[in-house]
Amino acid sequence: MPEAPLPVAAAPPRTRRPGPPPLVVFGFCWLALMLAVALLADLISPYAYTALDLRNRLSPPIGFGGTWLHPLGTDELGRDVLARLIYSIRTSLLIAFGATIIGAVVGTTLGFLAAHFRGLVEQAVLALVDFSASLPFLILALSVLAFFGNSMVLLVCLLGLHAWERYARIARGLALSAGAQGYAAAVRQLGASPWRLYGRHVLPNIASTLIVSMTLAFPEIILLESGLSFLGLGVQPPETSLGSMVGYGREYLTRAPWILLAPAVTIVLTTLSVSLIGDWLRDRLDPTLR
Amino acid sequence: MLRFLLGRIGRAALTIAMVVTFAFVVLRLSGDPAQIIMGADAPPEAVDAFRTAWGLDQPVWVQYFHYFGAILSGDLGRSMRDGRDALVLVTERIPATLALTLPALLIKIGLGIPAGIYAALHRNSLADRIVMVVAVAGFTVPSFVLGLLLVLVFAVQLGWLPSGGQEGWRHAILPVITLGLGGAAVLARFTRSAMLEVLGQPYIRTASAKGVPWRAVVTRHALPNAAIPTVTIIGFMVGSLIAGAVVVESVFSWPGVGRLLVVAVANRDLAVVQCILLLVATTMVCANLVVDLLYGLLDPRLRSAPRRAGA
Amino acid sequence: MREAAPLLRAEGLVRRYAMRRGAFGRSVEVRAVAGVSLTVERGRTLGLVGESGCGKSTTGRLVLGMEAPDAGSVAFEGKPLPSPGSAAWRAQRARMQMVFQDPLGALDRRLPVGAQIAEPLEIHGIGGKAERAARVEALLGAVGLRADQAMRYPHELSGGQRQRAVLARALATEPALLVCDEPISALDVSIQAQVMNLLVDLQAQFGMGVLFVSHDLRAVRQVSHRVAVMYLGQIVEEGEPDAVLHDPAHPYSRALVSAIPHPGRAGQRMVLQGDPPNPADRPSGCAFHPRCPVASALCAREAPVLKPRPDGRLVACHVAQGEAAPGQGILAKAA
Repeated sequence: MPEAPLPVAAAPPRTRRPGPPPLVVFGFCWLALMLAVALLADLISPYAYTALDLRNRLSPPIGFGGTWLHPLGTDELGRDVLARLIYSIRTSLLIAFGATIIGAVVGTTLGFLAAHFRGLVEQAVLALVDFSASLPFLILALSVLAFFGNSMVLLVCLLGLHAWERYARIARGLALSAGAQGYAAAVRQLGASPWRLYGRHVLPNIASTLIVSMTLAFPEIILLESGLSFLGLGVQPPETSLGSMVGYGREYLTRAPWILLAPAVTIVLTTLSVSLIGDWLRDRLDPTLR
Repeated sequence: MLRFLLGRIGRAALTIAMVVTFAFVVLRLSGDPAQIIMGADAPPEAVDAFRTAWGLDQPVWVQYFHYFGAILSGDLGRSMRDGRDALVLVTERIPATLALTLPALLIKIGLGIPAGIYAALHRNSLADRIVMVVAVAGFTVPSFVLGLLLVLVFAVQLGWLPSGGQEGWRHAILPVITLGLGGAAVLARFTRSAMLEVLGQPYIRTASAKGVPWRAVVTRHALPNAAIPTVTIIGFMVGSLIAGAVVVESVFSWPGVGRLLVVAVANRDLAVVQCILLLVATTMVCANLVVDLLYGLLDPRLRSAPRRAGA
Repeated sequence: MREAAPLLRAEGLVRRYAMRRGAFGRSVEVRAVAGVSLTVERGRTLGLVGESGCGKSTTGRLVLGMEAPDAGSVAFEGKPLPSPGSAAWRAQRARMQMVFQDPLGALDRRLPVGAQIAEPLEIHGIGGKAERAARVEALLGAVGLRADQAMRYPHELSGGQRQRAVLARALATEPALLVCDEPISALDVSIQAQVMNLLVDLQAQFGMGVLFVSHDLRAVRQVSHRVAVMYLGQIVEEGEPDAVLHDPAHPYSRALVSAIPHPGRAGQRMVLQGDPPNPADRPSGCAFHPRCPVASALCAREAPVLKPRPDGRLVACHVAQGEAAPGQGILAKAA
């Protein structure tokens, strides 16, 4: 929220600031934990996520009568919930990171193209932005999945299209104002190629705004992926993601709610953490962003 | 004003045309439409007959115009599951969806906007903090998690309400609450920031410095100006009335458009998917158009400058 | 002996913009530059002076080829300019450079100034890494900055220091032509003189031709070898700076000169009548005639041509050229 509309241009890049509030610190810690889990999944996971333990089906977690054999309990096939959770975190984060980066790259590139060429190119990009705004993303994603079938690559690319128009609008607007402001015009008349102009000057100058947008889009993508997977239309078995764990766990809502609660809590805490960090970064770096 | 109106309508039409084109392109890219629609085990003669009937043996641009013409005349194909007209199939589900989304919209507006205004006017108070925490939670808790938690508490543990199905108004309570709470959180957050931004403007400080009573400052100056950005998000919510409940309908086994869409996607029932896609896009574009026109009424400055919906 | 072609020669430059009036209005064509011809010689400075909106900055951009003129031509070292943005145009930037009004805006606030001064050398592939570093240090010295200030960011420098850094960047490739667009108007008065003196010193050292665009007649006089006065997109008078300042021939120049505060000439200020110039609504005949105190009937009918007087001064005025008797001005007559 733009609570203190500081002029961005006047803000020096390096100044000393007070540390982040406790909730944001918690966000960073949780996110670090999630990253560690995702990176070290193969090392820390007690079992393979597909390993069956038919003698211990639907066994409850510790504290609800369970044993240390399966700290978070098991599902209907005796698969360890903790192991599945660890691999689900890896899948979900991987998809969300990939999709966020794709969206940022596609959107920023299109925004720069619009700002650089103006005219017809700009109109085409703006028409695409209108098109994106006319369809709720979930519907668009579902239609594409219906037409093309499902694959991990398609899913990542598809989610990457989420919020591309936000980056495009930001990149176009900021590139245009950089041209009018002077430094871009000044570099252009030094004889710089468009690559140098946008890569070395405009991009670093708008990077903070783009990074803030990425932190705001990241939890949305996690939610979208988990929503699609929950519906059974995202990540397909035997792969598992946080959303698909909730989706399958739903069958056992009454008998074994732990199957569903563990990934649900993880989703909520992760999106909460990134949102808190994003809000904090926005207030710090770029109060002009809505 | 007429030029403004015509320009907006023209852009709306262009956007719908883009959605139709998108559906056409995706349909063509996804493989042989005859084979897909007729099914893999259809006899070759039937597939050929289908091709001729649909003009699939003609050049792509001719097909494109035929396709466009068919859609304009309301022919959206038939469901491959039971051969019924896709449009009929979809429209008969709309009332069920509206039975969830309309009450939910009332909750969103009735809860979200007052909460946001109150939080902004009492900034940094306990109430503001609570509203913000609930609002952030409402945004970060996915609707299927919230829905399942509600089921777990109110249907499984307490046994007060049914967990799914559509046999009466009691069945609608949990899905409506699930939809309404999430949207109310988004709206409260948005309203609060819009209000805070307006309250920080010089004209508010001027009005209040001139001795205008605070209540009048808020109702006459702050609220109308804060309404401008808030209208956008409400427009988006109105636009998603038809298809804004995909996940929630699945959680509660509610037989609405969203459930139909999920089943159609799972079965690759392309005619139905395409029909829903076009219907949703048209609703959304119309809602955006109305928002644009409202903008013109609320803020004369925006009549000439193009607005980009920030949804 | 005269060289065959001057450094820069612009002939009959015209630049039109479409301007929309109000939200629904029809677009109006505005001629920001309406037929400007000028010449910059090697190692000399042409001062271009006029009030804001008279098209002098647009003229600066046109002669640099940053935008293409709608009519007329620019020849640099005898050859026409390549089209803006092309590879040839980019390569030519090493030979012609610009200094901006707002040095803070013209510098990238994310890079230290030393890196920005080295940038033209990188772009045009001049020298190796060590040579560039040495060249940056030499340039910093030339513009009066310390070598350690190369590591500073633009916001860590004062306004005058920033403009020195911009000058150093512009001179990095030793251009033959420098266009300075209001280079001192964003600076404190106390700094303005320093920067102008620096510009004169640098010209002596680097030998570049300069087009000095300013609304400040005194500043123009201090740095220029010739001065051209612009009004509504046209040059109305051109001559030696001292001659123009002491004996302005065009009534508009006279008004500009009289606006300079001068202790010995109190009471003689000539105040212009009528509306300030609006390029969207150009008067008939001489563009200046509605505000001219000596306008005659001829001035409203026929536009005067810029041509030399017997003393060598170029003036575009019927009265100053003796083609019409001094009138009373249109406003005076109407009143």
